[in-house]
Amino acid sequence: MKVVVVKPERCVGCLQCRFACAVAHSMSESPHAASYETVLSKPRIHIGLSKNKDLFPNKCRHCDPAPCEMSCLTKAIFRESTTGTVLINPDRCINCGMCAMACPFGVVRYHVYVNNKTAAHKCDQCISRQQKGKVPACVDVCKVGALLFEDYNKVMDRDTDEISSLVYLGIRAKEQEKGAYQSLTEYKRSLEELRRK
Amino acid sequence: MNAVIIGLSAAGLSCLGTLMRFSPQVNVTAISEEKSLPYCRCALTHYLGRIVREDQMVIADISSYPANVKFILGEKVETLNLSKKTLMVSSGKEVIYDRLLIATGSNALKPEYCDEEKRTFTLRYMGDAKNIEQYARDKVTVLGGGFIGIKAAYGLIERNLKVEMVVSSSYPLSMVLDERTARFVENDLCESGILFHTADDVAEVNMRKDGVAVSLKSGLELFSDVVIVGKGVKPRVDVARRSGLKIDLGIMVNEFLETSAEDVYAAGDCCETMDVARKMPWINALWPVAVEQGYFAALNMLGLVTSYPGSIGMNSLKTRSFHLISGGVLKEEDGVTTFEKHFPHRKQFRKLAVKDNVPVGMAFYNCPDDAGLYINLIKKGTPLNVDPERIVNDEVGIADVLRPL
Repeated sequence: MKVVVVKPERCVGCLQCRFACAVAHSMSESPHAASYETVLSKPRIHIGLSKNKDLFPNKCRHCDPAPCEMSCLTKAIFRESTTGTVLINPDRCINCGMCAMACPFGVVRYHVYVNNKTAAHKCDQCISRQQKGKVPACVDVCKVGALLFEDYNKVMDRDTDEISSLVYLGIRAKEQEKGAYQSLTEYKRSLEELRRK
Repeated sequence: MNAVIIGLSAAGLSCLGTLMRFSPQVNVTAISEEKSLPYCRCALTHYLGRIVREDQMVIADISSYPANVKFILGEKVETLNLSKKTLMVSSGKEVIYDRLLIATGSNALKPEYCDEEKRTFTLRYMGDAKNIEQYARDKVTVLGGGFIGIKAAYGLIERNLKVEMVVSSSYPLSMVLDERTARFVENDLCESGILFHTADDVAEVNMRKDGVAVSLKSGLELFSDVVIVGKGVKPRVDVARRSGLKIDLGIMVNEFLETSAEDVYAAGDCCETMDVARKMPWINALWPVAVEQGYFAALNMLGLVTSYPGSIGMNSLKTRSFHLISGGVLKEEDGVTTFEKHFPHRKQFRKLAVKDNVPVGMAFYNCPDDAGLYINLIKKGTPLNVDPERIVNDEVGIADVLRPL
């Protein structure tokens, strides 16, 4: 199952994903016409700023089991069986606000976007684009690789491999130098250097 | 394996769905007292407000289930034999189970003045909502200032009816909120048109010619077409009690949602699970909690032993003018420090109760974006790694809160 995987450490905060998301979910799907639509399309990905000014692209994780799906009173939130995406049916949504309460990542918002009624609004992993064989819009425009559209397990495997090889290289480099690292930051910096090599 | 589910609402349906998802070949029998298709009780207040139609409230289509799921609708469970592992339904049919889930739910508490002839109804079933709808013409009195009362009152306001609320404590939502937060809710509800009579209680309900008169202890008399009573719920444990299961207020379960009898599980409003914020067994009669318990009970019924992490009391109240999300316990107690901040220009109010650096209660008014984050911290009992003062001042983001310690 492919999902959008977020790498917060790579994000530079250009907000291109937000723009692309809003355009991809607009009626016209055109960046020029989208801003003239009566009901403005809203982005479904949020870039949060931490107190250290670190950027954090925050979007729906499509959890399994999904707390929002469990808390939904009218079963407006459901899991699409083929891709495993958690979707919202705005016609059934009664705007009770339970999903915002249940979501552990705070990604659910309430907007008017279909049928002139306020309904829960969150990432649908661009399911209509996926059916056309495209990747989600935010992943398409991300220039720095902070958003990836891949199998979650593959990304995890790759990251683990990378870390383990780096740790191995770090230990070897340390043995050659025969000096202890002064701090964890220094160790991390040396790992970064190794990665660049 | 024969799995039997008693009750086909939040917990029962969630259990059924989970059983079907993880083990599609298991034989399931679902017994429900109601003849109609399962519908969402919590949306009854929205039904009163004409936000949903009756057909939109149906949450499960019985015909879509595979053939190994059998439904017995419109029949009660009369006896439950724990040693023989059988149960008898009201038509006299005997059902054998290997694993049983009791999800009988709860009933609305009915004070003695509750009477259909006096046009005084609780709001628990579709029939109640239809009765209220039938009588409500111009004016409605709502007794009880809990979530159900307020949601029903707001639903009727949406219908352009005049609503008066009688609240026995000095402010509404006194069970879950502190006074300051509750005042924001009260003010906003007053603005939308609900008239509050706080610190007052019902003395008598009398039927008059075309209307009901509610006399209050303060001497006031409220005249209306229909009276709605929202005084809380009481778990339905009569079948479980007769069969000899251990019962306190609800059915007592261990952390795997198993009752005192082997292979009998309980979930939903009828069972007493650990409240994380209170650190004691408690009944949180809420739809999301029941669904979660149904999920965990189904996993344990299938032998995928998973401990249920416990629940907290939480609710969301959303109207046109405000959105309140509350969770846990907000009361001032020993060792509990509360932090609060009001942003008048944004109409926002945040309150967080912290005990030993672990959040135990919260109320976020008009800031739903990050409320779920803190609800989940309370639920998991995670210590905070940021200053709570900064949380209520809205100075931290999700990246700070979720960063590992």
